[in-house]
Formats: sequence, structure tokens, C-alpha cells
Amino acid sequence: MSDSGPGSGTDPDRVPSLARRVLAPFADRSVAERLVISLAAIVLSIAVGFVIVLVSGRVAECTTAAWTMPVTGMGFCYDPVEVYVVLFNGALGYPFAVGEPGLLNPTWSPFNLSFGLTLSETTLLIFTGLSVAVAFRAGLFNIGTQGQLVVGALATALTVLAAAPLLPEGPAAGVVLILVGTAAGAVGGGFWGAIPGALKAYADANEVITTIMLNFVAANVAYVLVLEVFRAEGSSVVATRYVPEYAQIRPWLFSDSSDFALVALAAGVVCIAGLYYLLEHTPFGYDLRTSGVQAAAAEYGGVNAKLTTVRAMTLSGAIGGIGGSVWVLMSEGRWMASVPDLGFDGITVSILAGNNPIGVLPAAFLFGLLKGGALEIGFQTDVPTELVGVLRGLIILFVAMPEFFRMIGRFVGMGSGGTGGVAATSSEAGEAATEGGETDA
Amino acid sequence: MRNVIQSDYVRSLVVGTVAVLGLLGVAGLAFPESVAGDLAGIVFSASTATSTARLAAPIVLAGLGGIFAEKSGVINIGLEGLLIISAFASVYVASLVGIGNALFGIPGIWVGFLAGIAASTALSGVFGIVCIEFKADQIIAGLAVWLIALGLAPFMSTVFFGGVNTPNLGANVGWRYSTAMVALATLASWWTLNRTAFGKHLRAAGENPQALDTVGVSVSRVRHAGVLLSGVLSGVGGSALALSIGQFVGSGETMVQGKGFIAIVAYLFGNYNPIGTLGAGVLFAGLDAVQVRLQQLGYAVPDTLVQTIPYVVVIVVLALVGRTRIPEAAGEHYETEE
Amino acid sequence: MNPAVHLDGITKRFPGVVANDDVDLTVERGSVHALLGENGAGKTTLMNVLYGLYEPTEGTVVLDGEPQSFDSPRDAIDAGVGMIHQHFMLVDPMTVWENVVLGNEPKAWGGLRVDKTAARDAVTELSERYGFDVDPDATIADISVGEQQRVEILKALYRGADVLIMDEPTAVLTPQEVEELYGVFEELTDQGKTIIFISHKLGEALSAADDITVLRDGLNVGTVSAADVTREDLAEMMVGREVLMEPAASPQPPGDSVLEVTGLCVDDDRGVEAVSDLSFELRAGEVLGVAGVDGNGQSQLVEAVTGLREAASGEIRYRGESILGTTRRERIDGGMAFVPEDRHERGLVMSYDLTENGILGSQHDPPFARGGRLDWRASRDHAESVIEQYDVRPPDAEATAESLSGGNQQKFIVGREFERDPDLVVAMHPTRGVDIGSTEFLHDRLLDLRAEGKAVLLVSSKLDEVQGLSDRLAVMHEGSFSGVVDPATVTEEEIGLLMAGEPLDDDSVERAAVHGDADPTDGGPDEDPMDGTAGEGVDA
Repeated sequence: MSDSGPGSGTDPDRVPSLARRVLAPFADRSVAERLVISLAAIVLSIAVGFVIVLVSGRVAECTTAAWTMPVTGMGFCYDPVEVYVVLFNGALGYPFAVGEPGLLNPTWSPFNLSFGLTLSETTLLIFTGLSVAVAFRAGLFNIGTQGQLVVGALATALTVLAAAPLLPEGPAAGVVLILVGTAAGAVGGGFWGAIPGALKAYADANEVITTIMLNFVAANVAYVLVLEVFRAEGSSVVATRYVPEYAQIRPWLFSDSSDFALVALAAGVVCIAGLYYLLEHTPFGYDLRTSGVQAAAAEYGGVNAKLTTVRAMTLSGAIGGIGGSVWVLMSEGRWMASVPDLGFDGITVSILAGNNPIGVLPAAFLFGLLKGGALEIGFQTDVPTELVGVLRGLIILFVAMPEFFRMIGRFVGMGSGGTGGVAATSSEAGEAATEGGETDA
Repeated sequence: MRNVIQSDYVRSLVVGTVAVLGLLGVAGLAFPESVAGDLAGIVFSASTATSTARLAAPIVLAGLGGIFAEKSGVINIGLEGLLIISAFASVYVASLVGIGNALFGIPGIWVGFLAGIAASTALSGVFGIVCIEFKADQIIAGLAVWLIALGLAPFMSTVFFGGVNTPNLGANVGWRYSTAMVALATLASWWTLNRTAFGKHLRAAGENPQALDTVGVSVSRVRHAGVLLSGVLSGVGGSALALSIGQFVGSGETMVQGKGFIAIVAYLFGNYNPIGTLGAGVLFAGLDAVQVRLQQLGYAVPDTLVQTIPYVVVIVVLALVGRTRIPEAAGEHYETEE
Repeated sequence: MNPAVHLDGITKRFPGVVANDDVDLTVERGSVHALLGENGAGKTTLMNVLYGLYEPTEGTVVLDGEPQSFDSPRDAIDAGVGMIHQHFMLVDPMTVWENVVLGNEPKAWGGLRVDKTAARDAVTELSERYGFDVDPDATIADISVGEQQRVEILKALYRGADVLIMDEPTAVLTPQEVEELYGVFEELTDQGKTIIFISHKLGEALSAADDITVLRDGLNVGTVSAADVTREDLAEMMVGREVLMEPAASPQPPGDSVLEVTGLCVDDDRGVEAVSDLSFELRAGEVLGVAGVDGNGQSQLVEAVTGLREAASGEIRYRGESILGTTRRERIDGGMAFVPEDRHERGLVMSYDLTENGILGSQHDPPFARGGRLDWRASRDHAESVIEQYDVRPPDAEATAESLSGGNQQKFIVGREFERDPDLVVAMHPTRGVDIGSTEFLHDRLLDLRAEGKAVLLVSSKLDEVQGLSDRLAVMHEGSFSGVVDPATVTEEEIGLLMAGEPLDDDSVERAAVHGDADPTDGGPDEDPMDGTAGEGVDA
């Protein structure tokens, strides 16, 4: 223990050790396996989605077939290949010139509207994904990020609307209002998350059910509040007034209608890094993770389980609430009753990310693509955009069954020993260990 | 020990409910012009009773299904999804066959009913395979079932009918049928769980699967059966829900609106007893029905706020009965040592 | 006449392990046969082969002259083999009769109903025939462990078992219940049943069995008749070398009071009182051993002391101050080390590596936590030092806890707790699952701590362990100490009586129980309290 002073940073041993600590999870076989499983789940969901599109294209009615099956000559109303091409290519703003001689579209710019919409979704999903992930890591299923987002969003809108007249207009006031509004979102969401946390800790009420119920409650109560008290005059929908333009997070580089501000994405990435640090490098993170994987061991190690439950749910809710702030200040400019399913998508993002904050970034981007692409599907094809909802469920289903992929891995591994082989050997080793353990029982 | 406390608690709750209703009745009769009078009129009116029966069907039936799954050791949190998928499938197939038509002598609406059951059973079968054979986390897989159904039903509705809500069939299954089904299913479930060998195997599979395995009964077969039964019963519930009004509504959280989750609370509240689940389900449905009637009478309370009452009640109830003793091995995978 | 059971050249391999290597075993009808060996010798695996749970890699199972090939326990049951597992395969909330007939229920109404009358009658009839006193309508959770064991035997008999295999049948019984079990053995063999029981206790094999087969490292070392073999012979057969004596604690004067428990009552999870009105004092430099059959309140006592469970009433004073109402965290920080009984649940986070496990309990304390962040380098150094000192294998701080064998997991936990520099060590079954060599090392370390003036509360179900290490030995029965005795002079029979809750009417025992309270100034050089206990020890 020589390195007790601040000078320990110069310890030559320290740098590789630190790097190894950060990178260890990725070199770790179980993390690698998770990554393989997540990718396989996505591929499989896309394949099942393909079949669904095909089958529903067979039964749907249309005048001309969009796709004809080779050999059989069967006609289908939807072209599944086109669906996916539109989905992914469209979400990026068509960087690929499908069917043209050149592969890339020469007029494509990364700052196009579609890509902006995709990144806007990604940004929001980073927050909701992190919200679910942090609770998951503490062993809690927070299905209530949706409700926490709704409450946080309303708190943000009302706070900014109330505080704006107190400050002189201008960019400086804007920054203050954005910060205050976001803090209000965090408090509102955190409060809404603390309720099921406390119910779980002190009344043993299953948080899955309470958070789902609180989603309904949040949506209804917020709706009524805005309808009866805070509704903007003359508005045809149930919504608050717009917050002043200078207090909104404005797009930069991207077009105004994309509702995407790079600064918000950057804030999301900072949040990811912060949460990763919190979980892996602080005593609180250690307590939280240990409660999540093995509650009895955590208690043995002096962790106050009830308090950790409440804290984790509050933190989770606060992050969800910040997601609501971003939705109000970046996407809508006001609170409105038709809040998108960002909280539920956050569940998928988190599960797909293996509840790892760093994994949330690619997972949120993937779902951003799906959401952005869904809009394009709506414009370009006849396939109902609800397809994305189905894909969301399928991905969760497949990610939930790692054993399925291990079986496939074992099967494939016997023949080729490819990536599947990794999964196979690891799980076989696990089994051998268990059986070995049994013999001395 | 805790079961004793639990049943005492449930008993006092039932007595309390009856007492409140009794007082309400007396007050209503004494002062017919008051709010109490209105409320009593609502609670004891025939239309509230029928709408309670209609709303209770999905909650009670899915709740009974949930008992079978959870007693066997598989927590089925996807009941909501099973209700959604059966609600849609029943309406779709009924419209496909046609209300005036019949298939194998079965009227179209009943063919739809059976199709709803089949759809839900099939989805529960997938859930069972995923949980039992592929050792998926039951909670996550259950969520997936819900989210798949939540996406698939409106998707299919849009494919077939051009919108997330189906057109109305113009015919429906009367409340008497669903009431009869609820009664029958409750009694049959009680008998199966308490009197048959299968019921005992189910209980053993959820409490100590190894004990069942070592006497030569396949744990996974018993668990599959439990999960499939949850599919069948939820299918009856979902079909009854949709066909009682002759339409599937797919917007927002769909017409099921959390009834599958309320069903879970109903059976927890009923302490895994079918009769208790029936009671709890009727209680929750009754709240919903009263709420609907209150709105129709034009009370100034915003309807959305009134709609929130059942959800709040569920949270309160869950906080009170949170410490229900769930089966020892529920949620855990069991691997036979053979 | 054919032998009831003949195992012919059984070999069972698991990936990387040969659990049984060409084992032959012959058991005569109507006899009691003990299968003796240390943990890991392959006894359970061999019996799982006989019971159809494992298919042998090589070799055959022959029952009554007929070669068998079992695909599953079901086949074995059909062939008349019944297994009574160490952990009973009973469904706690169900009744005795429901458990006995589970899977083979007599049915009525064309299968729509379990014929309860027929089932109860069958259970009552069997129970009477073999002289078991079991109420068919009792719920399993409500009956004693001895009765539960008889229900397990009834289960096997109900399925027509002729050969009964029992895995460590005495592990959970009091000495008196063990005697009753031997009576049951006699009753069963008189009626032509054959019994094979697995054991690692010499005395038990000698007193209960007709023949004894010793397994070591998966090999059959030999079969002997219980009548013409001595303890020493058996011990040598089991271990393969001469057996070492347990280290004895050399007397030393205890110091200041470290832990003082007065009138302590603690409830278990079900709200039933598990520890009743318990009082004792533990001083620096003293080891207080707690013996007793598992489940007599030891866990609840230890949990109350270490802060994992609230006391219902009474007082716990640590270093002179009341610690009731202080958190687990505060007790850890106050210098309390704790080796828990369940390493998989509590002692280790199975998915964490040893670096992470090494700071469990110290995650908020320097040098591991500094300025709100965890110093992983210091943590790894710490884990590596524990690994080295306590010979944890593999010596890899990055290995996950679940990848270690049980014995190595235990060594790591004991090491982590012992190296905490504690004032009080609470150790529950500290050597459970640990091989002999490491056990000796852990015992030495424990005595070192005692010599350094630490107070040790040692709970163990290994009698020789508590007897050998303790200054005073308390025997726990139904939540209180049925006696506190001098381990040097007490006999095994006396401990047995105490474990069954029968107090020894010897006032010297009583004096030993209150020793330490007698003179508040003791610990001085002119008085040696140990001497008092030893001198007035049980003279029976």
C-alpha cells in the first residue's frame, strides 16, 4: 500500500492496471458472450420480423404485389427486404444508394433530417436506458421509467414556465433555465421512482407491478393536471404552453425540425461515463451492484438493503426524469399528453445492453435507428409502423434466453468452433464445475 | 404461520368490504337524494352489476391462470400480453368467419372465442419453452410476451383492418356467458389445485421441484402444463373481454389497459386461492364499473382521474399484502439431475 | 441366495474428475451396510449410480442376481431401490400423507380426485408395521427432523423399496434421535429390507452397520465386517495415513470482556422464537465454542450478534457498550469479523472475482475506499495477500468466486475475515468443506488469534473441532444453552445429552456457565479462571 498519496498517479504500474480495470469487462468471457448473444438476438428478431412481414403481406390486401417469391411465384403485398432497407437506410438519411451504380449516395450529409431524428431518439433512449439499467444493476425491475419520465417532463415544463418571467430574456437565462428545468425533472422523476422503491423496501411490494401501475397513475394525473390547470389557451391538444425559445435546447448543425441537439447527446454520453464510474469505481456502486447480484452477501457486507433499494430507485427515476426534461426542452418545447413510449423502449435498451451503462450507447443507437426508420417505413411502404413494437418485444425475448444461444453455440461449435464455440466452452466449463462440485457433496 | 395471518387479514378485509357496502346501502335508502344515494344507486344497480361481471372476467380468468403458472414455479408476468393477443385474435377470427356464418356448426363469434384461446395458449407455450427449456429469466420473458403482444396486436389490426382499432363486429357475447365461465373456471381451478394429483404435483413443482423429480414426475412437464393452463384461462378472459363489446381497441395500452397486471395482484391478494382471486377480481372490476357509472352520471371529477382509482387501489393493496408467501422455487430454473 | 445388491466394476467419470474408479460392492439381503469415506471420496456418486441418477461410465448394477440398466430414478424405484437424501426431498407446506404418496397417488373418480382415504390408510398401515410414530395429517414444516426422516423412509417403503440407501442419515439428528434411527434399521432389516448408508463418521459405521466398505479418492479400499475391525483400522483406511489429533488450546488467562449477551431473545424468519433468554460473556483471548444440532438457534444467535438480525429482547454489549440498534456496517467498523455459515449466499459474491470479494465489508474503508472512489489496486494487493497466506487455489485474484472449489472459497472467506484485525471473531463452521491439511492451518490461525488476545465465538457442528479449540464449550438446544462445560473433561455422551436438551445435574457445570461473571476483577495474574473451570470440570 505504498501509493497512498496523490502522487500515486505516477506509479508506472498504475496505468496498465487502470486500463485493464476499464477494459476487463470486455475481455471478460461472460461480457463477450453477452455481446454475442445481444447481436444474435438482434439478428434473430430481424429474421422473425422478416417472416412476420412476409406472412402479413400474404394476408393483407393490395392491388399489386410488392414482392414476388422466387420459384413459387407467390405474390406478397409487403417486400420484407425493402422494409429493412428502408428502415436502416432511411434512419440514416439514405447514405446508401440502393440499386444505383455507385454504392454511396453522393449528396448524403450526416446532418440530414432523418439522421437527426434518429439521433434525437438515441439521445432520449440513452437516458431511459440508463434509468432502467441502474435499477437493474441493483436487482430491481424498474418498469416505471415511463411514468418517471412523464412526471419529470411535467416538472421541467412547469418549472421553466414559472421561472422564465423571473429572469431577463437571453442566452444566459436560457442556460440557467435549462439547468433548473433539468434539475426539476430529476427531482420529479426521482420522487416518482422513490415511491416504488420505498414500497419495495418497507412494504415488500413487488416493484414490477407497482411501477407499471404508477405508469398509469402518472399518465392520468399529469393529463388531468394539464387539462384542468396548465393547459395552453387555445391549444387543440392537451399540452402546456411552449417554454421560451431561448430556454430550449436548440439544434446545432442539424436542422431545426430534427429536434436534435448535439449538446444533449453529449450530456447523455457524459451521463453514461458518470454512471459507469459510479457503478464500477465507487463504494456506493459496489453496494448497489452487490445488492443486485446477491442481496444476502450485500447485507453481510454491511450494505443497508432497504436504503440501497430506495436510493437506486430514486437515482433511476431521476435519470428517467432527466430524460423527460430533454424530451420537453429538446424535442417538444412543451409538455404534451401524447408522451411516446420512451420508458418502455428504455427497458429494451437496457436489457440489450446487458444493463451495462457503456452498452447503453450502442443499444440506444440501434433503437434510435429503429424509431427513425419506423417513420421512413410509414412514408415509404404500406407496412404498419407497429412492426417496430413487435421487434422490440422479440429482441427482449431473445436476449432473455441466453441458454438458447448457448445451445446453438454448442451445436455450431461442434462443427466449426466459431464465435458460437466461445459460448459453448464457457457454459460447458460451468457445467463441469457444477458436477465436480456435486461429487464431493 | 404467515398463511394464518394472511387468511385472517383477507377475512377482515372481506368483512370490511361487506360492512361498507351495507352501510352504503342503508345510507342510500335513507337519503336517496344524497351523494350516498347516488353512489348506492350505482353500486347496487343492475347495469353496474353486469359491467362488473364483464370487467371481472379478464381479471379473474387471467388471475386463475397466473395461479397455475406460479404454483408450478413459473412466474407469468406476461398475462397482460396473453389477454391482448387473445382479445385481438378472437375478434379477428370472428370477423373472418363472419357473424352470420358458422364453422363446423359453431357460430362465427364462438369460433372467434376459441381462436382467442388458441392464440393465447400458443403464446404461453412459447413463453413456457423460453422459460423452462431455455432457462430465460421469467420476469424478462414475461415482459417480452407483453411487449410482443402490445406490438403485434395493433400491427395485425392495421394489416387486416387498416387501423389499430378493429371495426365493431355488431354482435357480442353476453355477460351471462362470461359470468358462467368465470364461475365454472373458478370452481374447476379450485378442484384441480386442491383435489387432483396434478394439483399436488403442481404445488410440489413450485415448492420443492427436486422432491417431485426424485419420485419420478417430470418437473418440466408439470411446469409446461401450468404455463399452458395460464394461456388457456387468459385466452378465455381476453376473448370474453373483446367479444363482450365485439371490438378490439389497440390504441395506447390497448383495451386490456393493465388488467393482466391487476390479475396478478388479484391472485396475490387472494393468496393463490381461486375463490379469493375471484373475490379480489370482482372487487377491482367493481371499482372500475362504479367509476364508469360515476362518469356517466356527470360528476364533476375528471374521468381520467377516476380511472386512476383502480391502479392506486392495486398499489395500496400490494403494499398491504406485499408479504404474501410465494412458492419457494418460483422464478428459479430447475435442472433435473439425470 | 443372491446378494441384494452387487455393484460390478463401477466407474463414473465427470469432465476432469474420476468420481468412482472400478468400484465393486456387495450387500447381503437383510443387512446394514455402511459406505464410509471422507468428503469427496465418491460415496454419493456411487449411490447415485445405484439409484439411477447417474449412468455409470463403466460397470453394471446387479440387483438380486439380475443385471439392471437404469435410465432414471424411476427405473430404480421400480426395481425396489429407494433413496433417502441428506437434504430431505419433502414439500414443506404439504402433509405427511401427501408427501408419501406424491407421484403415486391412489386415485378415485377416474383420476379426477386423489383418494385421500386410501392414501392415509396406506401411510398409517406402513407406519404401524415398522413402528414409526408419524401423524399422516401433520404438515412437514411442523414436525421434527427425525420425523421428517421417517417420512422419507415411508416414501421409499410406499414405493415398494427393498433396498434403502441413506445419505448421511445422522447428520441432522441428535444423539438420541440417532439411537432411534438404529432401532428403525433393526425393524427394517428384521422384515427383510436391506440398508446402505453413507457416512464419514467412524463410530456410526461401527455401531450401526454389519459390514463396512471404505472409499477413498473414488477407489474401494476394502470391505470389512464391523465386528472385527477397530476404529484405528478404519481411520487409516479412510485417510490413508495415521490420523492427526486436533490441536488442543493451551490454557491462557482471558482478558477484558469483549462480548456480553444478557437475556437475549431472537425470532427466526417465521416469527418463532429461536433464541430464548440467552446469556453469556466472552473475553479477550478466549474461544467460546457452541455445539449443537443445526437449527437450534445458532444461526439466529450469530446473526443477532453480527447485526444481520434484530434481537427481540435482551442486551448485547460489545467492548462494554450496547450494540443493539447499531447497523451491520457499524459492527464491522467496530472490529467484528464474521465467517458466515453459508459461503454461497453470504460469504462471497459468487459472480465477483476475488479482488472484489476481498473488500466485501470493507468497501467503505481505507485503504480500499479513498475520497469516494475505490482503489482497485489496493484491493487486488489485499486479495493476493489473503490468497497467498491462506493457500487459496488457483492463486488468481481475478478468478471469480464461483470458479473456486468449496474448500478454497471457505479458505478465502476465513482469510479475509481473520486478516481484518478484529477484536471479535464470530466463526460459523469455519472449516466446512475444507480438506484436512487446510483445516489444520485454519485451526492454527484461529488459535493464533486467540493468543493475540482476540475473542472468538466458534459455532461448529464438528464436535472434535469445538472441543479441541474452545476454552469453554456451550451446547445449544432449542434456543438456549443446555450447558456450558469444560471441553477438556466433558465426554461425548454428556455432550449428546446436552444436545438433546437434558441438563447434566452437576453444579460444576453450572459454575462453568457463569464463570467470568464471578469476579469482575479477574484476568489478573494472581488468578487463572481457566484453572477454575478445568479443575472443577465434569468428573463423571
